[in-house]
Amino acid sequence: MLKPASPPANTEANAVFKGTAMPWLFLLPSLLILAVFIYLPALQTLRLAAYKANLILGTERFVGLQNVTELLLSPAYRQVALQTLIFMVLTVSLGLLFSLGLAWLASRPVRGSKYYRLLLIYPYALSPAIAGTLWLFMFNPEIGVVNQLLGSLFNVKPRWLDDPILAFSLVVVAAIWKGLAYNIVFYLASIQNLPGDVMQAAEIDGATPAQVFWRVAFPLLTPITFFLVFTNIISALFDSFALTDILTRGGPYFHNAGITTFLVYQLYQDGFVNFKSGVAAAQAALMLVLVAFITFMQFKVGEKRVHYGG
Amino acid sequence: MRKITLLLALMGPAAFQLAQAQTTVEFWHTFGDPKRGGWIQDRADEFNKANPGIKVVPAYKGNDNDLISATILSARQGNAPAISQIFEGGSQLALDSGVFQPVSGIKNVDFSDYIKPVINFYTIGGKVNSLPFNSSSPVLYYNKDLMKKAGLDPKKPPTTFNGLLADCKKIEAAKIGATCFGMSVNGWFVENWMAEQGQTFLNNDNGRSGRATATNLDSKAARNIFSFFKTLQDNKYYSYTGKIEDFDGSDAIFTNQKVVFHITSTSKIGNNSDGAKRAGFELGVGVLPIPNGTKRNGVVLGGASLWIAKAIPKAKAEGALDFALYMTNTKNMASWHKLTGYYPVRESSIKLLRGEGWFTKAPLQLVAFNQQTNTVPSPATAGALTGAGPQTRKIVEEAWQKVLNGTSVDAALKEAKTRADAALAEYNANFK
Repeated sequence: MLKPASPPANTEANAVFKGTAMPWLFLLPSLLILAVFIYLPALQTLRLAAYKANLILGTERFVGLQNVTELLLSPAYRQVALQTLIFMVLTVSLGLLFSLGLAWLASRPVRGSKYYRLLLIYPYALSPAIAGTLWLFMFNPEIGVVNQLLGSLFNVKPRWLDDPILAFSLVVVAAIWKGLAYNIVFYLASIQNLPGDVMQAAEIDGATPAQVFWRVAFPLLTPITFFLVFTNIISALFDSFALTDILTRGGPYFHNAGITTFLVYQLYQDGFVNFKSGVAAAQAALMLVLVAFITFMQFKVGEKRVHYGG
Repeated sequence: MRKITLLLALMGPAAFQLAQAQTTVEFWHTFGDPKRGGWIQDRADEFNKANPGIKVVPAYKGNDNDLISATILSARQGNAPAISQIFEGGSQLALDSGVFQPVSGIKNVDFSDYIKPVINFYTIGGKVNSLPFNSSSPVLYYNKDLMKKAGLDPKKPPTTFNGLLADCKKIEAAKIGATCFGMSVNGWFVENWMAEQGQTFLNNDNGRSGRATATNLDSKAARNIFSFFKTLQDNKYYSYTGKIEDFDGSDAIFTNQKVVFHITSTSKIGNNSDGAKRAGFELGVGVLPIPNGTKRNGVVLGGASLWIAKAIPKAKAEGALDFALYMTNTKNMASWHKLTGYYPVRESSIKLLRGEGWFTKAPLQLVAFNQQTNTVPSPATAGALTGAGPQTRKIVEEAWQKVLNGTSVDAALKEAKTRADAALAEYNANFK
C-alpha cells in the first residue's frame, strides 16, 4: 500500500496559543450560551428542588431534602420509576433487535432494495405527536381500523387503551415503531461499511449465513450498537412524552399510578398541570442523577466491551 | 451608523407621541381555530375602529394550562396581558396568584343582565372577579334513527339514570349493532351530576365560605354516579375510547353511530350536528340525565371568564374592561352563541335570540337553554373552587376508570377521596 509521506513539521500543525487568554476568548461564545440556557437553569432547578413551591402562586418554602425523600418513599413514584425501567429495557432491546434484522435484510442485494430502505426510514420524519395521533385513531376500540379488522375476522374487540397490559404493550410497540427508522439508518450505513474480505473469507471457510452474521458481522457492529443503546435509552427516558400524552394520557390507572405514566410525564404533570414546581424540580434532579449514571456506565462499558474494528 | 442615529432621533418623538395617544390592550385567549379566534379578532377590529385611543391586540396562547402559566409568569416580569381568558377550574388559582383585580373594582358595571348561575360562579366573597365569556354545560345527545330502530320513541329521550338503563336494555335486545351509551371520562361531568343532586363537590360550600379542605366523594350523591357506571359496565351498555378526557374520541364514536346515547358539552352542538349530517342520521339533544329520586337542581356553568391584570395603569384597565364589555354585549353574545353553541351569558341576548325566532330555527339549543335558566342558585350549583382543580379532576377520572375496570364503587371512591383530600391539603399548605 502506498503510504502518504509524513508532512514536514510545519508551524501550522504545531501551533500553540501563547497565552491562556486566547483560547478562553474563543470558547467564550459557546460557554455563554451554555451558561444561560443550560447551566443556570440546571442550578436553579437544583435550588428549587429544596423548596415546596407553586408556579402560579409564586410561593416558596424551604424543606431541604423533603421533596426527594417523599418521592423516593411514594409508592406512586416508585411504580412510575419501575414502569419507566421496564419500558426502557423493552423498547431498547426489542427495538435494536428489530432494526438490526430489518437493516440486515434491506442491505441484501435484492431488487427494489432502495425502495425498501426508503419505506423503512420514512417514519423518522413523523413528529411523535403525529405518530401518537395516528396510533390513537388506529386503536380506537369502536371505530379504529385495527378493531374493525379484528372484529370482522375473529369477532374480538380488544380494549387497547384501558386494559393495563394492552395499553402498556401498545405504548411499547408504538415507541419501538417510532424509533425503528433512526436505528435502521445507522445500521444500514454500518452494514454497508463492513469489510467485505473478512465476510468472504468466512464464507469460503464454510460458515453458514447465520454464523457469518452472529460471529463476524455482529461483533464488527458493536461500536454502532453501543452508540445506539445509549441514544435509545435517552430517547426512551425523555421522548416518550408526546407519545404517551396523546395516546393514553398516562393511563389507565393501575395499582398506584397510571401504567403508561413514565418519569418525564409525571414530571410534566406535577410541574405544568398541578403547578408544583418544587416537587417537579426534585424529579428533574433525580433524573439528572439517572442520566449521570447512564453516562458513567457508557464510558465504563465502552472501554471494556466495544470492539473497534481494524 | 450616523444615518441610523439621525433617523432614530427624527422618528423618536413621533413614535413616542403615537404611543402616548394609544393604549395597547393585550388579550390572551385559548381559541386557536380560525372560526372562534377569527370572531374575536373581528370584535377587536370593530372596537379599535370605534375607539381610536385604544388598540386591542388579541393573541392565541395555547390551552388552558399554557395560558394561565404564561399570564402569571409574565405578570411576575411586569408584563401582564391586560385581559386573560382563564378556565373555570383555574379561577381559584387566578384569585390566589394576586396578579388580577376584580372587575367590579375598576368601574361600576351593571351585572344584573348576566344569567344568575353564570355570574355566581365568578362572584367570590361578594366581588365579581372576572367577566363571564364562554360558558357551557353537559347535555344528552341521541341518535334518533338508532332509537327508532331499537323500537324507542325518539320524542322521549331518557331524563334519568334508570330511564337510560331501561332504554339500554331494549337496545341490547334489539341487536342493532350499536352499544347503548358512550361518553368521555371527565371529572367535569361528576361535578355537574353532584350539583344536579344539590350536593357540593367540596366542603366549606364548595370552597366559597372558606378554603376547601375535603372533597365530598364519600357522599351518597357521588356513590349514585359511580354505581350508575358500574351497572352500565356490568351489563356492557357503555363504551368509550379508554383514554380519559378524550372528548374528541367519544364524539367520533357517537357520530360514527357506534352508540345511541352520548353526553358532552353544549359547546359541541355545532360539531356533532355536522358529524350527524355527514353520517346521515338525525340528532336529538336532551337534558342531562340525572340519578332517580332527586330534584333537578341544575348544572355548573363550565367554560371560562375574562380576568383583568392588576399592575397596569388605570386607563389601560378601563380600556380592557370596556373591550371585554363590548365583546360580551347583547348583540355579540348572541352571535357568539350562534357560531359556537356556547351559552350567551346575558338575559338580554336570550331575549334577542327569542325575538329572532332562533329557537324554532335551532331547536337543539333550546334544551340547553332551559337547563341553564332553570338552575337553582346554591353553593352546589355555584361550582367548586380550589387551586388543586385540575389534580382533583384527574383523581376522580382515575377512580371512575377503576370502576369501569372492575373495582368496587366503595373502594374506588374511598381511595379517590384520600388522594383528592391530600391534594387539597398540599395546595392549602402554600398559605401557611
